[in-house]
Amino acid sequence: MQKVCLTVNGREVSAEIDERTLLLEFVRDVAGLTGTHNGCLEARCGCCVVEVDGDVVKSCNVLAVQVDGAEITTIEGLAPQRLAPVDQITTQSLAGVYRPVEAVRGTPEDLHPVQAAFHRCHAVQCGFCTPGMVMVLKDYLEENPEPTRDDVRRAIAGNLCRCTGYQHIVDAAMEAAAEMRGERVPDRPTHGSTDGA
Amino acid sequence: MTETQARPTGVAPRLVGTSVPRKEDLALLTGTARFVDDIRLPGMVHARILRSDVAHARVRTVDTAPALEVPGVLDAMAGAELVGKVKPWGDLMQDLLVGDHFPFATDKVLYQGQELAAVVAETPHQAWDGCEAVRVELEELPAVVDPEEALSPTAPLIQEQILYEFGEGNVFDRYKVRVGDFAAAEAEAAVVVRQRFATNKQAGAALEPHGCVADYDSFTGVLTLYSSTQSIYMVRDVLADVLQIPRTKVRVLVPAVGAGFGSKAQIFAHEVIASLFSMRLGRPVKLMLPRADVFRAGTTRNAQVHYAELAMAADGTITGYRDYIVHNTGAMSVWGNQVVHIGTNVGMLPYAIPNVHVDSDIVHTTTAPGGPLRGFGIPQAIWVKEQLVDMAARELGLDPLAVRERNVIDPAEFPYRTPMGHVIDSTSIKRCLQTCADAIGWDAPRAPYEGKGLAVSMKYTSARHPSLDTDLSAVRLRLETDGTVTIYSSDVSHGQGHATMLAQIVADGLGVGIEKVSLAPPDSMTAPFGLGTYASRGAAVLGTACRLATQRLRDKVLAIAAHVLEVAPEDLDTGNDRVFVKGLPDTGIYLEIIAATAAYRTHQLPPGFEPTLEAVATYDTPTEREAPDGRGNLSVTYSGAAHAAHVRVDPDTGRITVLDYAMAHDTGTVINPLIVEGQHHGGFAMGLGMVLSEDYVYDEQGRLLNASFKDYLAVTATDVPELSKTVEIPAPSTMIPGGQKGAGESGTGPVPAAIGNAVFDATGIRFTTLPITPQRMLVALREKERRGVETLRYPDDMPDFRGPRQHTDWPSPVASDADLDLDFDWEDD
Repeated sequence: MQKVCLTVNGREVSAEIDERTLLLEFVRDVAGLTGTHNGCLEARCGCCVVEVDGDVVKSCNVLAVQVDGAEITTIEGLAPQRLAPVDQITTQSLAGVYRPVEAVRGTPEDLHPVQAAFHRCHAVQCGFCTPGMVMVLKDYLEENPEPTRDDVRRAIAGNLCRCTGYQHIVDAAMEAAAEMRGERVPDRPTHGSTDGA
Repeated sequence: MTETQARPTGVAPRLVGTSVPRKEDLALLTGTARFVDDIRLPGMVHARILRSDVAHARVRTVDTAPALEVPGVLDAMAGAELVGKVKPWGDLMQDLLVGDHFPFATDKVLYQGQELAAVVAETPHQAWDGCEAVRVELEELPAVVDPEEALSPTAPLIQEQILYEFGEGNVFDRYKVRVGDFAAAEAEAAVVVRQRFATNKQAGAALEPHGCVADYDSFTGVLTLYSSTQSIYMVRDVLADVLQIPRTKVRVLVPAVGAGFGSKAQIFAHEVIASLFSMRLGRPVKLMLPRADVFRAGTTRNAQVHYAELAMAADGTITGYRDYIVHNTGAMSVWGNQVVHIGTNVGMLPYAIPNVHVDSDIVHTTTAPGGPLRGFGIPQAIWVKEQLVDMAARELGLDPLAVRERNVIDPAEFPYRTPMGHVIDSTSIKRCLQTCADAIGWDAPRAPYEGKGLAVSMKYTSARHPSLDTDLSAVRLRLETDGTVTIYSSDVSHGQGHATMLAQIVADGLGVGIEKVSLAPPDSMTAPFGLGTYASRGAAVLGTACRLATQRLRDKVLAIAAHVLEVAPEDLDTGNDRVFVKGLPDTGIYLEIIAATAAYRTHQLPPGFEPTLEAVATYDTPTEREAPDGRGNLSVTYSGAAHAAHVRVDPDTGRITVLDYAMAHDTGTVINPLIVEGQHHGGFAMGLGMVLSEDYVYDEQGRLLNASFKDYLAVTATDVPELSKTVEIPAPSTMIPGGQKGAGESGTGPVPAAIGNAVFDATGIRFTTLPITPQRMLVALREKERRGVETLRYPDDMPDFRGPRQHTDWPSPVASDADLDLDFDWEDD
């Protein structure tokens, strides 16, 4: 057993763990963040991608002890509102009229531009690969603000998706890139709801 | 005037037909969605299955006692102790007297990966250690990997304990079609093309592995199973039967499901094993399958060998089709034999072939279980038939496009019944064909090593499976006391977007905002009985049940409003969360008030009104059972797909690149165009994997060599061409009240054949075996060059090919036609 201390989405998490514990298992079972998924445990599917000190890593391929002291960002860390506790219960929040998450337009207070673009472009079907895809694309688009569609395809070549045929994922990445460059994204139908179904 | 314009001002436009962004996305995008592996229950422990390393063996010893000595291990079990206590399953779907599935191998191992023992421990690692301690002695037997070898009288017998009604030896079922008179068609044809084809064993490989959490309450006797499955009632009913406990004591709940594609459309041994452990320990038990186990023991696309013949008249009219199919369902298969029935019946479309003569021997091999996979036998049938169409067209010097234009069904009047018995209620397949051909520039000249290919198919929209006389889905709606609506359904959404698609139907029908409509998670304690989500049945069958339930709920709402407003129900309309007098959409009474009236102010209800605002509806399709001669309208309606491929072959690497691809589909009335487009894209990718890279590779001992995403070549983003040429040409169904047709699987059917035909056009090589890998392409190109021939068949013309090269050497079905009267005039049947 060894003590490991990581900063996960800005929160310090430390535990005595079996040395064999993977970073993936630390994130899911110790930090309690299950948005990072186990799809293959052989570093092929990409469902488990997280950021370690700013670089994307397949977390099933790293032991937690190897990254002791690192800063980890998971999918739960991209949408700040999801982490912010409700510090005041008001009559408004009780009545259910607080501002809902704007998922279609995706302001920085709500969703990362990649998440919002995935929603608009229907780049999510079963959603199991989605957190890994989003993490890879966020990292890639931050470093490559003006990619071609082929560039995007190569960027996600280490992530499998069995549902979408990748077309809408590439669409979403191109829209997100434009938005991250400060360009206005095209209007799409906005009568969708943002509640969890 | 469109329907939208016809509605009064102030009322929201209709949502059906628009690309509403999905309601389920937010949780999936932010990581808050809960999949089965995310469930943590108090006191939960972890199980693991020990699986056989060998494919075919007699079980001598499985001793779990050493596992119990391993630290942390709580319990272990193997097959022998369950015999007589746990009922085998698999009988219902296969028409067997006794099921052939059991939690563990008992006397024999039938495929690599079959369950031998299981261990449950405090942690997953301890369970793993426990599995390694189990002592196993197996006496290995010869494997049977090749389905044709399984037919040999000298082949080792795989299933020794099962008595089959229609088969013997390794043939466990037979299938035949006798429509018209193929021999006469053959005699009169201008050309008959004949070719042996073989298809591959493709994995669903849904990214979320199979798994479950079983939680038995030892005081109430209720077993709760959280599982990643496509059908809660199939799992519940079989599990209750296997454990011999009442259905009411089994509750199946489904969290978010990371896709299925057919690979989760049945109960699996791990669901029974986790349940048994939980019942023995009285603690929740999680059992997640490692990826390698999903490959070895999950279900796969059934591989087939076809000896197929197609007769064509001089003008290009297809006059007959004959086939002998050796259908490989693996060592055991719940759904496997159904695949060749439906795949062949529907696979004859989109042609009205007057003479069809098919035999199939449905065999066991010592390989992973076959089962349903996106397309259910149709991609296999289309791969064969659509290449024969090209071969016949070339022999007659006709354009493959013109031949297809002549043959695709385009009747003057609907409904139209084909000789096979399909009732076509509407189709735009001819326009789909022309549109996709135009989109890739069919007539433009080809550069060297480039080629174009076409294929057309029709896919059933749900089906009455031969062994199941049912095809139903159900929806219950509840108008909550604040005017919101809850939808209850047992058809599990695992990527299809049911929460959005059903909410669109409810929102339009009830005039309620879509943000106020929610889909309850599938739960067998509360959901109405339905078959589940497979067979492209969601939008059409479940959607129709939802439409009917919405109408019933609307009638109740209008009855209350009419009473309160003192007007006739016919004078009322709904919209903007209100019921209002027609023409006055800005007035009226909120649904919230009506719902609250029904719940809390029942004296204000109409006299005799039953105070409930729930409505339930079931829709069972008006389909036919399969006739003994194979005829029948098994599907309520048929979606059409025409695909055109433009490929380039690199002669140095053997790599096939899809340069351009066009898909034109008839999915009837589309509820959510963006969702349907996504289904077609995904269907294409699965077809691309089938034709170019995905296959189970076995060695001679029956060991799977590529049970990993490292070696199993799932399609990646760089393999897929841009799919911007995806168009809908809707011919709304007249059988389905809303006009929908199935969307989920129609994108897969034509892909292998369209690319196979394009590859021939590019290289002159007719690949008759799937997949067309770069290695195969390279050796085929070398052999063609060595011989200096214009055309070559791979592998039929290769020096090392061991199968029959000419049709005169073809095998016959092992079942003779002795039980059939050959002089019988099927035409007059």
